[in-house]
Amino acid sequence: MDHRSSIEINTEWDIVAARQLGRNEAKSTGFGTVDQARITTAISELARNIYLYAGKGKIEIEPITVGQRTGLLIIASDEGPGIADLQKVMEDGYTTSGGLGAGMPGVKRLMDDFRIETEVGVGTTITATKWLH
Amino acid sequence: MNLQVEQVDKDLVHNFKIIGEIDIYTAPKLKEHLTNLEQAEGMEVELDLSEVNYMDSTGLGVFVGFYKEVKAHNGKMVIKGLNQRLYRLFEITGLSEIMQIKEIEGGEDHASV
Amino acid sequence: MPQEAGLQYKQMLDNYLRSQGEEDLYLGQQFSRSFIEKKIAPEDVISIHKTSIEELIKDLPSEVSVSFDFLIEMMIHYGLALKEHQSLIRKQEAIQMEMDVAVKVQNTLLQTATPEVNGLDIGWISRPAKRMNGDYVYFLNETSNEVCLAVADIIGKGMSAAMHMSMVKFGMDSLRYEKRSPSHVLSFINNMIEKSISDSMFISMFYGKYDTDTATFRYSSAGHEPALFYRAAEKSFTQLESKGLLLGVQEGANYEERTVKLEKDDYIAIMTDGVSETRTEKGFIEMDVIEDLLHHVKSESAQVMVDYLFNELSRMQDYQLRDDFTLVILKKTK
Repeated sequence: MDHRSSIEINTEWDIVAARQLGRNEAKSTGFGTVDQARITTAISELARNIYLYAGKGKIEIEPITVGQRTGLLIIASDEGPGIADLQKVMEDGYTTSGGLGAGMPGVKRLMDDFRIETEVGVGTTITATKWLH
Repeated sequence: MNLQVEQVDKDLVHNFKIIGEIDIYTAPKLKEHLTNLEQAEGMEVELDLSEVNYMDSTGLGVFVGFYKEVKAHNGKMVIKGLNQRLYRLFEITGLSEIMQIKEIEGGEDHASV
Repeated sequence: MPQEAGLQYKQMLDNYLRSQGEEDLYLGQQFSRSFIEKKIAPEDVISIHKTSIEELIKDLPSEVSVSFDFLIEMMIHYGLALKEHQSLIRKQEAIQMEMDVAVKVQNTLLQTATPEVNGLDIGWISRPAKRMNGDYVYFLNETSNEVCLAVADIIGKGMSAAMHMSMVKFGMDSLRYEKRSPSHVLSFINNMIEKSISDSMFISMFYGKYDTDTATFRYSSAGHEPALFYRAAEKSFTQLESKGLLLGVQEGANYEERTVKLEKDDYIAIMTDGVSETRTEKGFIEMDVIEDLLHHVKSESAQVMVDYLFNELSRMQDYQLRDDFTLVILKKTK
């Protein structure tokens, strides 16, 4: 098993730290410039959502190998209010994005695998993976 | 199009002054203000429409909905300051027969209970 | 595949750097289509540009090279917004199709045939401001010497109005052949819908019944606009008012019923507030304008009259209806 790095998200500046960590990990895993930027943008959105809606939480990043495939796993978790309507959050044009391409649909587009586990009043964990092609 | 709702409460009567046009676009805002009001048993609400010069059926719908709610709590709703055109609207729709309306601009009171 | 596109792009860029000609720009524009077709994202295009220019200019300042990384970062978000936009357009198309179906259902379900009545000329028009109509006209021809007519206006527009309208229609159908008076019909429908309508919804409705034997028109109104009654002998209009509360507000409401007798060339115009509350840039159209317009075409058939009024009033609103427009004219011909 590879190492797993982690950043606590408490302030807006922690978003920048999470981005930096993501970019370094993406680079050392072997991703090209554009995919590095995609992974970083996804981390940025996830961290920002934690900061805005849960107040605090953490971002974990881990290089993974499954069979022949190598990739980068990102786990964003918080103990915030949780998401009551997942379908709505994943809908294009939902208010958090406001048609600006951000939000959860944006993260899903940037990454290859994406899943949300959430419980109202308990928290949310989002797992996303980008594979090296 | 603009709509302003001011709330001034005095002597246990909730007073609302509504300023602007009430139509399909502004009606949701008015509805929000009125539904935010916690319904207490026997409560009294006075709605001042003296600075409303236009209202369409959606606006009327907000008052009908609010009237039903107040009545369900044995409360009292009074509408005042209607201009002639608006009063005519309440009259045609038969609402002036069930709602209490007073101080009509340029006319005598048509109070009814 | 991006490599292949990358090689072509580099070649084209090289040509342009040498010539700086319009032709190369034109080829570039054409080539950008293939990027879109191959679904190459904006950030990938910049990455291709960065690689190409680094290879073409050996001593490219590193700041310029790095500046493309900055641009890539920016373009990722642009690309996402673009994809979201495309997905929203697809969604809108789907909604549009559902709407088309709903309009068709409304038109089929709520269609009504203009009855043939001896000695009575009937003309009517009902045009929605948007796609779904919140106004409703329904004729019931119970016997050969009697015709019933309902004109209703459901609060709000669109889908919800159309759904509530079908309640009204089925309410009236269920009373068919029962020879109920207008005030009974309104009481029945009021009690029926009061239970199933949301708190801030209501319907206004005018219901009339014309008897050819006696040439009398009995009518009741549930909070609806008064109808206009033109007496040819006096060349003047009166308003047909009748007391009654909007439908759906209070259970057990009572509806007054009145009767007028028609003579030859007399007519009754029943309308919704889309006609009587016509609003133009300059303000409201007053009732006397409508009366003047009607007077102008009083010798025409009822259908010509309603069409004329619609054309004139919609012209006054610059052909942009602000509300659904419904007008029915009943004219005694002999």
